[in-house]
This record gives sequence, C-alpha cells and structure tokens, in this order.
Amino acid sequence: MNAKSLIKRNYEKHPEIDFPDYKSSIFRAPKNRKISFPSSNTETIGPIFNKNIIGKLDNDLTLNFSKNKISPLGHKIIVYGTVSDQFTNPIKGALIEIWQANAAGKYLHDNDENPAPIDPNFAGCGRCLTSSSGYYEFLTIQPGPYPYPNRGIEWRPMHIHFSIFGKSFGQRLITQMYFEGDPLIKLCPMVNSIRNEKAKNSLIGVLDTSKSNTKNLLAYKFDIVLRGIKQTYFENRKEGL
Amino acid sequence: METIKAKLDETPFQTAGPFLHIGCMPNAIKINKIYQNDLGEIPFKDKQENELITIEGSVFDGNGVALDDVMIETWQCDEKGQFNEDSGFARLIPNNITKKFTLKTIKPGSYKGFDRKTYSPHVSLSISARGLNMTLNTRVYFEDDELKNDPLLSIISLDNVNSLIAKKIKKNSYLFDIFLQGDKETIFLDI
Ligand SMILES: [Fe+3]
Repeated sequence: MNAKSLIKRNYEKHPEIDFPDYKSSIFRAPKNRKISFPSSNTETIGPIFNKNIIGKLDNDLTLNFSKNKISPLGHKIIVYGTVSDQFTNPIKGALIEIWQANAAGKYLHDNDENPAPIDPNFAGCGRCLTSSSGYYEFLTIQPGPYPYPNRGIEWRPMHIHFSIFGKSFGQRLITQMYFEGDPLIKLCPMVNSIRNEKAKNSLIGVLDTSKSNTKNLLAYKFDIVLRGIKQTYFENRKEGL
Repeated sequence: METIKAKLDETPFQTAGPFLHIGCMPNAIKINKIYQNDLGEIPFKDKQENELITIEGSVFDGNGVALDDVMIETWQCDEKGQFNEDSGFARLIPNNITKKFTLKTIKPGSYKGFDRKTYSPHVSLSISARGLNMTLNTRVYFEDDELKNDPLLSIISLDNVNSLIAKKIKKNSYLFDIFLQGDKETIFLDI
C-alpha cells in the first residue's frame, strides 16, 4: 500500500493572516497559533472531480453567459498555464474554478456596492479540469480594477480569483492572479500581506503576445504549484511486527 | 525519511473575498444558467434520509457576529472509514436569515491511518471568506464517539479540545460553532 503525506507548508511564502492593513482581517483572522499535525488519510486522499461535471462552455467566460452570442464588453484575453506539484509533477484532472469582475470592475453579485454597470452578457465565472500535462486555459475578458472600502476607498488591481483542487484536500488552494505591469499591484494590502517578494511576484500573470497576430488576443500565463505529496510504499504488516 | 526535496514553492494564498459564490456556488446566488448544479450539493449520493446526520452551526467573528459571506467545505470518509475519491465532499454557505450552515451527510467511520494509528470519526473543514488571507483548516469530531486515543485530539490540551467536538443536540443532530477569534477561538490546523 502507498502511504501518502503532504510536505509541510512554508508560511513565509504565504500571506500573513493577521494583517491589519487589510481591514476585514482585523476581526476575522484567528489570533492563536495553528496546531501543526502530520497529514493523514483525510488530507491526502481526494476529493477528485469527474469531467462529466464540466460543460462545453464552462471555460469560455465570453460565451457562457452571453445572450445571442453577444460578446461581453472589454477586450478578450486567454489565461492559461499549468498546475504542478512542488516536485514539478504536472497534476492531471485538477479542478480550477475562477471568478472575476467585468470590464468595468463590477461583480455580478448583490453585495457588490461599486457603482459601475453590470454587463448582461458576463457572469464572471468559469471552470475546467487540467489535461494530462496539467494544462488549463480560459477565454475571458480583461477584468477592470475596482474601488472598495478599506482604509478609506482603495483600489484593487485587476485580478482573477482562482480556486484549485489537486488530488487531495490538503492541496486545496484559493488565490488570485494579477496582471503584469498593473501599477495598482504594489499598493494592494492583500498582495502586500505576502512579505516575500518572489512569492508575491509568482501571482502575476505574464503577458504573452504570441496569440495577438493570429487570434487578436492577448494572453497571460499563470502557472500554479500545489503542495507536494510524498508517497512511500510499504508492505502490509501486522501491528507490532 | 525526507529524502526528496521540493523543487518549487507552493503558490501563495490570497483571500477568497466577498464574491466567492460567483466562482464556487453560482447557483446559490441565482446565476443558474452556467452550471447545472453547484459542486458539493450532496456529499454522498444514493443515501436515504434516515441514514443521514445533520451538523449545523455558525462561524463567528471577533465581534460575535455570525458571518453570512463565508464558505465552508467539508471532506470525509464513508461509514466504513473508507475514503472514496469521488464522494464525501460538500460545500456550504450559511442561510442568510439564520446565519447557520447545515451539513447533511453520513456519519463517518473511524479509520486506521497510514501511520497505523486509529483516527476517531471526523469531518475535515476548510473555511474561506473575505478577511481571511488564507483558507483555514479544522476538524469536527463527535462527542458521542470514543475520542481519547485519537492521534490529533490527544496532543491538544483539555481546555482547547472542545472546540473540535460537535455537541449532540438530538438524535442524529449535532451543533458545531466555529469561532474565528476570542475566548472560544477554534483550533485551526497546519496539517
Ligand atoms: Fe475580487
């Protein structure tokens, strides 16, 4: 049988939980230290999602909510990349769910108080499963930056929210992709809750103009790394032997 | 034996923000025409109502306010202690009036782990919301089970261990509140 265990998380490469510059964290971030405990079966086996849940347009945000095939406003982009683990193994069948604001910086959500217009042809949600080489791709539109109340009104850089499931509950990741060259990135307290520069930069999608000529599209490449799982084979033995 | 070294850093977390429903549970906010069902609506298909237990509770912030913009994901084995990769997962959001989440599932069994230790029945939780820069992990155990040999519970001090144990409120029904801060702060796990 294969014993699996996740390699320990390096919290220096992650955001600080208790980070008052991000006001919402003040009354929500736990104050006590986490209890460190080796991963067991619960964290290392599943869930895995079946491709029959994925519809044909699920990864095409320009069409999955449009009426009469009218394009949403804004310029179209491709967001693509690979999902691998920390040992560089590509992860096949990883579920990626994304959500984002429309070109005006407005979410299709009752709680969004930004006085910008909704786009009747854009919901801002998409999902896909990675291929055998860990590849994923979304067709969407460039999300706008948006204002939100924090320390007064601040502006979020353009971003797409990502939720990823690999092969196990302990690999679960929720993050955001930013866009190369956006001047708002360095002002954002959520980005700056990550102290490590290299880790911060790894969230920035890299501009790729190779598809500009043939498809009239800008592309952004965003590779995702999930926690590594070690597997060790051992024989089934009776206890105590 | 830790002989293999990781070559890459894990991608850092960022908050799920207040609009996570759009991506994770669009049908719950009336974006109905894209996905047929929201993921994790039913953790185990083909189970009858009388085989199910209910775990309900709220997620409280440091002001004692029950959140309604939080998403709780749950993952567990079946009643025999077997993990099946394709069932046992659920996604929950609190009811916007009662502010309570409700998990209807089967009671998980205990299992023998890769480490050959016996784990008491538990459900694993992952909690995401605006204000949480990283998803939080914890576990729910059940007060009417044998708990004293569980490898996790036995390393936690007695004053704190209760935050991981659901109270039985009636037959097949449990209460499990989560406190993000304060005297009763729930134990969160680096697992
Ligand atoms: Fe956002």
